[in-house]
Amino acid sequence: MKEDIRERVKRVLREKFTDSTKQLEIKDDTPLFGIGVGVDSVATLEFVIALEHEFQISIDEGEIKPEILATVDTISEFIATHVLKKSG
Amino acid sequence: MNTIPELLSETVAKHKNRIAIVEEGKKVSYPELQSMVNSLSSYLTSLGIKPGDRVAILLPNSIEFIVGFFSTVNIGAISVPVNPTYGEEEIRFYISHSMAKLILTEERLSKTVDKLKGPESKVVVVKGGERGLSIFGKERENGLRVSINPHDEAIYLYSTGSTGKPKRVSRTHLNIIALANNHTETIGWSEEDRILLSIPMSHTYGFGNFISAIKAGACIYTVEGFNRRKIIDLIEKERITVFPAVPFMLEALANTPFPRPTDFSSLKFVISAGAPLSKETFERFFKRFHIPPRQLYGSTETGVIAINLSKDIENRFGSVGQPVKNVEVKIFREDGSQADIGEIGEIAVKSPSMTTGYHGLPEETQRSFRNGYYFTGDLGKIDEDGYIYIVGRKKLFINISGNKVDPQEVENVISRHPKVREVAVVGVKGSDEKEAVKAVIVPKEKIEAGEIYEFCRGKISDFKIPRIIEFREKLPKSPTGKVLREKLR
Repeated sequence: MKEDIRERVKRVLREKFTDSTKQLEIKDDTPLFGIGVGVDSVATLEFVIALEHEFQISIDEGEIKPEILATVDTISEFIATHVLKKSG
Repeated sequence: MNTIPELLSETVAKHKNRIAIVEEGKKVSYPELQSMVNSLSSYLTSLGIKPGDRVAILLPNSIEFIVGFFSTVNIGAISVPVNPTYGEEEIRFYISHSMAKLILTEERLSKTVDKLKGPESKVVVVKGGERGLSIFGKERENGLRVSINPHDEAIYLYSTGSTGKPKRVSRTHLNIIALANNHTETIGWSEEDRILLSIPMSHTYGFGNFISAIKAGACIYTVEGFNRRKIIDLIEKERITVFPAVPFMLEALANTPFPRPTDFSSLKFVISAGAPLSKETFERFFKRFHIPPRQLYGSTETGVIAINLSKDIENRFGSVGQPVKNVEVKIFREDGSQADIGEIGEIAVKSPSMTTGYHGLPEETQRSFRNGYYFTGDLGKIDEDGYIYIVGRKKLFINISGNKVDPQEVENVISRHPKVREVAVVGVKGSDEKEAVKAVIVPKEKIEAGEIYEFCRGKISDFKIPRIIEFREKLPKSPTGKVLREKLR
């Protein structure tokens, strides 16, 4: 499941941060701040909403801390806990 | 009623049993608000604050912000609201430029403020910490007998321009009274209204709504920041009637997958300002929540200018509406003559709530304030029914979801990075028509975009940090050396 989540997170990143990801291979440990994730609150919320749609989960703005947005791995871990919670 | 303290006392006298502010379930009635204002006013006086002194209010939307504002103007001092989410360099600029003698703030910011302020400024923590609201606890009547002239300065707000630094705009007591009157009389607010303020009250849009709500005797629900589910809960449970927002907030609400249907039936007005409202956002929000967002137009220099109250909102959603009461709007051509109906030109405003110019900037003032009008720098037209449409802008700034960004200010910060030789900042539009900040950098040596993000963080507000960074070998320039910004987009 985790591999699937990582791949879907990478896809959302490529869609939302087109300019900074077009010439970049996004790896599991690529620092997301370097491609603009978490730089400003508007971009962050757009990314969060896209993740909510992708994974059919609800994320509260207060949960989004810089350490969660650090890499594909950290955000995927965070989503995995939401997905598990949802499935029960 | 010609001064702000009179505005508050008249509302208190009329609405003794009404709630003025609700914050996280904490309620403050109008008489309690007056009592808290009297208490903090006398405390400020005891600290040596005199008429004409400037008091910075570095607070989020809160009971303390509202009490802080009224207490400052109550003793004839000038309030300087500052958004607490700003970067340290920005906060330092506002405190120093306004020559704030005292800063009202919250516990979590007190150490930062101590570091940023000059030695002559005092800091008073009114939110959080040990004292917090206890300052408002005891009513002290001494020191409150201050005579205020309606033409005295009441508030300094800062306007974003293309000068590299924000421009100070002063508004008098009479300006603010006119703003509240024009706004409430046009929209028809009353003491029955419940207004949800998530947009910052430290900016002109939030401030205008706050002061107008108090004038109407309405109830203000203060929210710090923007949290989608909190907004939805408040609208439903508290039966909110007015929700001022920026298009980004409306878009986020309309796009969020909520697990259950929402009930927005209490809302009379959803107001959209700060940035253009796209057709897509209008339609999505209307379809989902069954209430149409209505565009409002205003500026730091004038306060509210126009609002779209059209009954045919589905066909007229793109207009910012007709001028509010007592405000005149005209469109002028480049040669200074008045444009015809439907003809595009610069939007100019004449209003009893407008400032007379920018502090210390005679050339900017002369350019923007002419023949009793404020020339907004916005390009627009007026149709045969008097509806105003904004179609572009003359001024060089970038609009990020309602926040204005001066490219020069961002360039000034990035150019200080030791690996940067040259930088130019522009606004670029994506496929969704929204603007983003883009920096084109000529590096001295190899550098990653992340280093630029890190360098900017904390120095300027996050919305000003370029979302797109491009490295080039040189910047395109004219023969005279001027950067050709069009070639950077």
